[in-house]
Amino acid sequence: MTIEPEHAIDVENLTKRYGDLLAVNDISFHVRTGEVFAFLGPNGAGKTTTVEIIETIRTPTSGKVSLLRMDVTTRKRDILPRIGVLPQGFSSFDRITVRETIQYYARLFGRRDTDVDGLIELANLKDKSNDQFKNLSGGLKQRLGIAIALVNDPEVVFLDEPTTGLDPRARREVWNVLLSLKKNGKTVFLTTHYMEEAELLADTVAIISKGKIIAMGSPDELIERNANYLVFTLKAVDRAPFEIIQRMGFEPVHDNHQTLKVRVEHTDDIQKILNALNDAGAASLGLDVRKPNLEAVFLKLTGEALREGSGEGVPE
Amino acid sequence: MSGRVIAANLVVSIKTFSREKSAIFFTIAFPIILILVFGTIFLNQDNPSFDLYVQDLDQTNSSAQLVETLDRNGKFKITTVDPALDATQYAKDKKLNFVLVIPKGYEKALVRRLGLIGGIPNAAIRDPNASVTITYIYDASASSTPTKIQLLQSGFAVVNQGMSGQPPFIRAAETSMLTTKFRFIDFFVPGIIAMSVMTSSLSGAVNMNAELRQKGVIRKLSTTPITRTDWILSNILYQFMLAVISALAILVVSYAVFSVRLQINAWLFAFIVLEVFAFGGIGMILTRVANEAESATAAANFIMFPMMFLSGSFFPLELMPGFLQTIARILPLYYVNEGLRAAMVSVDHTAALRYCAMIGVFATVVFVLGINTTKWDEGK
Repeated sequence: MTIEPEHAIDVENLTKRYGDLLAVNDISFHVRTGEVFAFLGPNGAGKTTTVEIIETIRTPTSGKVSLLRMDVTTRKRDILPRIGVLPQGFSSFDRITVRETIQYYARLFGRRDTDVDGLIELANLKDKSNDQFKNLSGGLKQRLGIAIALVNDPEVVFLDEPTTGLDPRARREVWNVLLSLKKNGKTVFLTTHYMEEAELLADTVAIISKGKIIAMGSPDELIERNANYLVFTLKAVDRAPFEIIQRMGFEPVHDNHQTLKVRVEHTDDIQKILNALNDAGAASLGLDVRKPNLEAVFLKLTGEALREGSGEGVPE
Repeated sequence: MSGRVIAANLVVSIKTFSREKSAIFFTIAFPIILILVFGTIFLNQDNPSFDLYVQDLDQTNSSAQLVETLDRNGKFKITTVDPALDATQYAKDKKLNFVLVIPKGYEKALVRRLGLIGGIPNAAIRDPNASVTITYIYDASASSTPTKIQLLQSGFAVVNQGMSGQPPFIRAAETSMLTTKFRFIDFFVPGIIAMSVMTSSLSGAVNMNAELRQKGVIRKLSTTPITRTDWILSNILYQFMLAVISALAILVVSYAVFSVRLQINAWLFAFIVLEVFAFGGIGMILTRVANEAESATAAANFIMFPMMFLSGSFFPLELMPGFLQTIARILPLYYVNEGLRAAMVSVDHTAALRYCAMIGVFATVVFVLGINTTKWDEGK
């Protein structure tokens, strides 16, 4: 296997079986140094198994995985001091405060130079630094988990589902911390099933489904490659606009509130629709023009929604 | 193995302990409460004094002398019952478990038996077959009843033998095998030390491993430089510290409140170390076998509670039926109890060494098994 010097992670033909269950099925990819790599997929797709193999805490059934140019199956002791991990559903010692928890993990890594205050600040936990872990909200716990993942100033940071189970506000607070990591040039391996997260943070996205990587590239590339269209949304007071648009050869869909969504290939098509509606005197109000997101890409590639209720509802 | 990592774990464990009120209670306060409660109950075990209600229907000098003799014996605290009352009904009403009734005619029978009138022998009235029947009205379900009957029977036997005018044929001489006279509390304290070290080591190992594993903390730790050896050693050290704190608290209270006479020697230290390894090892095995933290705790309780009561921590094995004594002798806590008593009470170094070797072999086996069953990688 040729290892590119700029690659922080190289995965080649990785397979993991649990008895008869094939959790990861012969996948290959690499993560460039300094990039945010998002591993996107629904629950049970094989994301966590893959990331845990790269983190050295699981062994592959077959295939080769290198992290920082070291084989993960044989160089665990050399690898661990150079990576930081936020495991899925992170938890810590209930009665230990935020500051003490960071200090504890810094000691485990033998780091006397860890900037505990800096990490507390980065995770925006200054007001909570003397609170015990058990008294923190879910979002605060995740932010502490990220701070802990950075105690050893790691070259690669693994964040496994960092915002799962958090409310939208807490999720955005975690994203702010992740954006700081990105700004600092860390290599970040992010597993998530939130495409907004991947789109916002990732330089490269790999979509995994049923243990297989089904698409990989930058968010823009994936959308361009797999969902190269626009979604035009408008509100109609009656059924006339729907019929006019349908007669023009488009396939509009509408919901109970008379909101129409039309998939168009070019911006010219939107102008044509507006002109036709205007000429017919059909009362309508243009609302929005959007490019599809990774959810649409995932829908197209797998035929299933990434998470419940997240589909755009626009026919592919 | 890293001293730095072990020290970091110890700091976290000690901070957690100091902030966990229930942990402090069960490690320090609970054994002290046990010592105080049982120590007080059995404080006068060597000189027990039983309540004895006496109804004297004879109301004579002789019957009064008999009551006085029972009182002087020191085994009874005597309360008199009005002769006009129905003794059985009185016992029921007052919830008494024992009433002794001296019948009317007691003095007359005594006079005939001795053949004395006003202290002067009178052969004409002497009747060697004259006797009197003293009645016990008792509650058979009361635990003190057999003891009271036994004490009275032996007391009356002495009286009967004295009246026969013959010296006793069999006499008894009491010689303790111990150089110092020990009380029940002196035997009880080593049992409580063994019990509290067992509970803290077993529960500690289960909580530390099962709960933290279930919460995902172990999984996070497995992505840091801490190794399985570091983790297990720091846990064992922590459990040992708790065991020493618990034993010290028990000993301080025992000396201060009950003035126990126990030998504090290196055996105590050795037994605590071995017990921590033994029950820490059992805890690690349970953690591996049970899938959930709750089932691991339940399994630990299933092991701890029978062991507490069957291995002679609270009462001597001789009080138990034969088959339970056989079971007790396969329980590791029995050997710790016996070993600590040999070391601290009878100061029998040979016996202490024998028990130490037995528990040492057991501790080695279960601890090695525990290490092998504690999986560190793959978060399991």
